[in-house]
Amino acid sequence: MRKTHRIGAAVAIAASATLALASCGFGGGSGDGDDANGGTTLDLLVPSYSDATQGLWEDVIAGFEDENDGITVNLEVQSWDNLESVVATKIQGGEAPDIYNGGPFAGFAADGLLYDAEEIISPAVFSDFQESFIANEQVDGTTYALPLIASARALFVNNALLEQAGVAAPPTTWDELLDAAVKVSALGGGIAGYGMPLGSEEAQAEAAVWLWGGGGTFGDESAITVDDPANLPGAEQIKKMIDAGATQADPGSTDRSPLMDIFVQGKIGMQVGLPPTVGQIEENNPELDYSIVPIPTQDGSPMTVGVADQLMAFQNDGDKQEAITKFFDYFFDPEVYVPWVQAEGFLPTTISGAEALQDEEALQPFLEVLPDAQFYPSTNPQWSATDAAFKALFGQLQTKPAQEVLAEIQAQADAG
Amino acid sequence: MSTTPDVSSIQAGAADGRSRPGQAGRPGRSGRPGRPARPARPAQSGKGGPAALASLPWIGPALLLIFGVVLFPAVVMFFNSTRDISISGIDQGSVGLDNYVEVFSFPYFWPIFGRTIVWVVVVVAATVVISLGLAQLLNKAFPGRRIVRLAVIIPWAASVVMTTMVVFYGLEPYFGIINTFLVDIGLVDTPEGYGWTRNPTTAFAWSIVVAIFVSLPFTTYTILAGLQTVPGEVLEAAKMDGAGPARTYFGVVLPQLRGALSVAVLINIINVFNSLPILKVMTGSIPGYDADTIMTMIFKYIQNQHKVDVASALSVVAFVIVIVIVAVYVRVVKPMKEV
Repeated sequence: MRKTHRIGAAVAIAASATLALASCGFGGGSGDGDDANGGTTLDLLVPSYSDATQGLWEDVIAGFEDENDGITVNLEVQSWDNLESVVATKIQGGEAPDIYNGGPFAGFAADGLLYDAEEIISPAVFSDFQESFIANEQVDGTTYALPLIASARALFVNNALLEQAGVAAPPTTWDELLDAAVKVSALGGGIAGYGMPLGSEEAQAEAAVWLWGGGGTFGDESAITVDDPANLPGAEQIKKMIDAGATQADPGSTDRSPLMDIFVQGKIGMQVGLPPTVGQIEENNPELDYSIVPIPTQDGSPMTVGVADQLMAFQNDGDKQEAITKFFDYFFDPEVYVPWVQAEGFLPTTISGAEALQDEEALQPFLEVLPDAQFYPSTNPQWSATDAAFKALFGQLQTKPAQEVLAEIQAQADAG
Repeated sequence: MSTTPDVSSIQAGAADGRSRPGQAGRPGRSGRPGRPARPARPAQSGKGGPAALASLPWIGPALLLIFGVVLFPAVVMFFNSTRDISISGIDQGSVGLDNYVEVFSFPYFWPIFGRTIVWVVVVVAATVVISLGLAQLLNKAFPGRRIVRLAVIIPWAASVVMTTMVVFYGLEPYFGIINTFLVDIGLVDTPEGYGWTRNPTTAFAWSIVVAIFVSLPFTTYTILAGLQTVPGEVLEAAKMDGAGPARTYFGVVLPQLRGALSVAVLINIINVFNSLPILKVMTGSIPGYDADTIMTMIFKYIQNQHKVDVASALSVVAFVIVIVIVAVYVRVVKPMKEV
């Protein structure tokens, strides 16, 4: 029993090793990516935004393949957690996807792996993107990626809890926020005033909410400036919130998604959320009495953390440019694109898309704050390392001095 | 680059006796009275060439597999540790020993090293002690013994990540079942529970508990197999000489278990040292490096910082540490010595 099992395992390992070896190193030939009928195959690697993501892409691909004979699209959906290591592994193995939906791309651009975005989409479609988003996809004046979705953040407020705690209006400044959160926390019964997710999942976002809200910045496309005096007020304010007991327990290692679930259950007074959070609440706890307000800042001036995820195309063999162009032209057509963005609950990056979604009630608060959006310096080649450093280290604010944490993040970012 | 996907499957492989160089014969047999005939060692090169060639067809496939699955990746790991590899995995040339310098100059390296040793020693020691008791129990005939033996195997059959996830969610504040229980019986006084997996020390302690839990089946069964080789006559003779149960156990049974125990300890050391998934799940959301072992650090170098080169250097260091630990163990305990 054991023995046959072992032989089976050995054979399986040997076979898979052989297959793996056989599939490496032969990229770049005409045999790669062309199927038997002389058609083209596009490999599409995307992260999962929600449970619906895979189905949405499958619908897009089905429609695209119907219109374009001879092009097949292979879809691979990965979780955000694994996405970057998956794509790095693929690139190392010479198996880079043709189209990739992801975050930071400057590293790929620096290594000369990406198509110039204007070469892989029709000019008419390209001009439909909002200026500010395209600017965010450029390194040295060349556009390397196409903005796929935008999201902005806003403060979700549990009206019932604030009322119970005797807070009259949602906070707009840090002082008001601290005061309101302390009062809500004092209600007891496991209720937290402000949900603060500094855990590894998306620490850079919560960091941006506070550091930028205090007039700080992470830097620009040429320099990363985390260890900057301008960032200190935000970091100190985080510590003040934690020390005052205004947050849930252990904010330093709490991840965003599970914490949002607790908000949806009605046990957190205030938490920063995204457009998809609206859908999440509708689905899981439609009874929740909440409102969406701009994120409180140090002096109450409007600010939001904007995120634009992008689509980029790798120049694997250079022979799929036409197919990729067809795919992008098809996808960014409002008929296809708007329903996709709507289903995922994000904001569109195209002018035609924004016009189509003007009357969406739930998106209003986000569309309002979008003009004040600040973005991560994602075109800086070091942004990936900075992002990772935030994820790995920022939560230490709970126990370490703010200055020390910022310096440590800066050091790791510089080293990467 | 082997991230242990499932400790138990590795154990199973190891338990099947991946002979390591310098480990002739099966240690499990040394418990027998009278020296067993040593199996003829496969002729090494330079000692009966024709015989070695003749045996090649039989051992060839295994050698090929060892080369492809063990040696080749190890060589690649050594090679990568001296290269500069960019974030997207492009090799930028040689940097000599810079990656090693980075590994050792990392301010948290020594605490991580110390924690790794604590992790290995505590998990292996506790596992062996508990397994000795369990094996003794399972060696007794009692109604339903088969069911109990089966129950002991279960943690081995389940994926380590699954087992850890169950415990991890049980420890979550607000909805974890273990937390809720502790709150209900009044041990934890915050209504949402305590963030066991949010604090380095408690998360590490719970990881040790899970690691012991998943290591028990293999160890218990190895010792159980050893117990069944203890001849009845010997136990009877001890009884005749008037030895009590404790004396019999420590004077007669335990020495006979030497072979089984040493195999169990050796394989456990290697497995526990190389175990990533438990710590990854239990301490994954904790910022900083206060709950890391060398394995999770390698993972963080790859996953967070995309430094495949530094991760390779640390892997080489880990490789050396394991070899040293095993060498010391073999020297001190002499597991190959006959009773």
